[in-house]
Amino acid sequence: MDEAGGGTTAQRDAPRLPSTVERAFVNAMHIEQATELLAEHGSDACVLAGGTDIMVQYPRGEITPQLLLHVREIRELQETSVADADTRLGALTTHHELATTPALANRHISLSEAARTVGGRQTQNVGTIGGNVVNASPAADLLPPLLCSNARVTMRSARGERTLALDEFLVGRKETALEADELVTELALDAPGPRTGEVYLKVGRRGAMEVALAGLAARIELDESGAVADARVSVCAVAPTAFRATEAEQALTGTTLEADTVAEAGRLLAERASPIDDVRATASYRERVLPRLLGRALEICHRRAKGRA
Amino acid sequence: MSLAISVNGTRHELDVDPHATLLDVLREELALTGAKEGCTEGECGACTVLVDGAAVDACLLVALSVEGAEIETVEGVSGDSGVLSPLQRELVDLGGVQCGFCTPGLVMSLTALLRESSSPSRAQIEETLAGNICRCTGYAQVIEAVEAAAAQKATP
Repeated sequence: MDEAGGGTTAQRDAPRLPSTVERAFVNAMHIEQATELLAEHGSDACVLAGGTDIMVQYPRGEITPQLLLHVREIRELQETSVADADTRLGALTTHHELATTPALANRHISLSEAARTVGGRQTQNVGTIGGNVVNASPAADLLPPLLCSNARVTMRSARGERTLALDEFLVGRKETALEADELVTELALDAPGPRTGEVYLKVGRRGAMEVALAGLAARIELDESGAVADARVSVCAVAPTAFRATEAEQALTGTTLEADTVAEAGRLLAERASPIDDVRATASYRERVLPRLLGRALEICHRRAKGRA
Repeated sequence: MSLAISVNGTRHELDVDPHATLLDVLREELALTGAKEGCTEGECGACTVLVDGAAVDACLLVALSVEGAEIETVEGVSGDSGVLSPLQRELVDLGGVQCGFCTPGLVMSLTALLRESSSPSRAQIEETLAGNICRCTGYAQVIEAVEAAAAQKATP
């Protein structure tokens, strides 16, 4: 093979880092190996799983990692368990697995629906739930369904292990409580009970490859009389971070989802939102779309909850 | 750093930049220029290749992260003899190729689909095409080509 192209790769990559900085790559095989390297390198290291966010940010100069710490082959991070009380998803669970693995897709319907809307199949094949959560994009599709499932995030470091509720983990736009030496290992989700229905709805200008203009996950549990025993509503792309709309949830609890109640919950939801104008949509559009989106979501949840009676 | 991968059935031992992408390695080191560099952001799918059978954007994959993997590019679809695969043949015959820039990526995504499902539904085909952007042919002829290739397989 002619080697003429041999130097080109290095030249193309050179602007990414000062030439004096050594670029490194480690393929970690165990959690302990990864956390030791993170303890040593801290923010000079970047954890790499599917790379679908990292490898967009890196050439743009938004991040300048010296060490790419590849974790995709760590077995413990791939493990998934489905129990009566909860579902534990290894951080490396891919969007494609969330969308298509029957044990997950049938149990966590809104999460599966959200995963199906993340990029194209190429992204879904390698992009991971851990990466989506750590990247903490305001428009991250998996966050609303995870918030509705009371997701807990488990992190490991050389110092030990800790678990945070997802809404505490998400600190701000692209900001999380994750320390530079920590690795997200697992997400734990509440199992849906009987008479429970959930959905994820996404607003975009086209059906494919869309970053959400607004995303909404809802989950309602009906009591035996058919009234709402528990309501959960979470949204993305309408504030610096995805959040649970607790005021709207309280307005729905104990009701039978009369039109007035749903409208009031929609108003409370829009009030909590703090959207921005950007290239995709105006703040005003995002605020106005939320009540209607909630109404549609509740109809679907109600139908699905009755189907699981 | 050293990288061992198999590309279209041929094993390669390469010395690569630790942060080079798989697309860099395929195009610059192995001179396999079928996979195209389009957006370099995982939006257009022009760089789609198969890694252990799964369609991925080669522009977003760090080459060293696929150590030991079997890579398939469009150069491997038609094989040494140069005979087009049924899908490629139908794309040509039904007008599914115009400028051709997106075609290698489309072929890889759709090759993976046809392996997963011998007679994919229209919805499945459309969903598969979500990650491949074509700006001149349009998708109608491409979808027809997939259906024709699947039908061919069903009646040999």
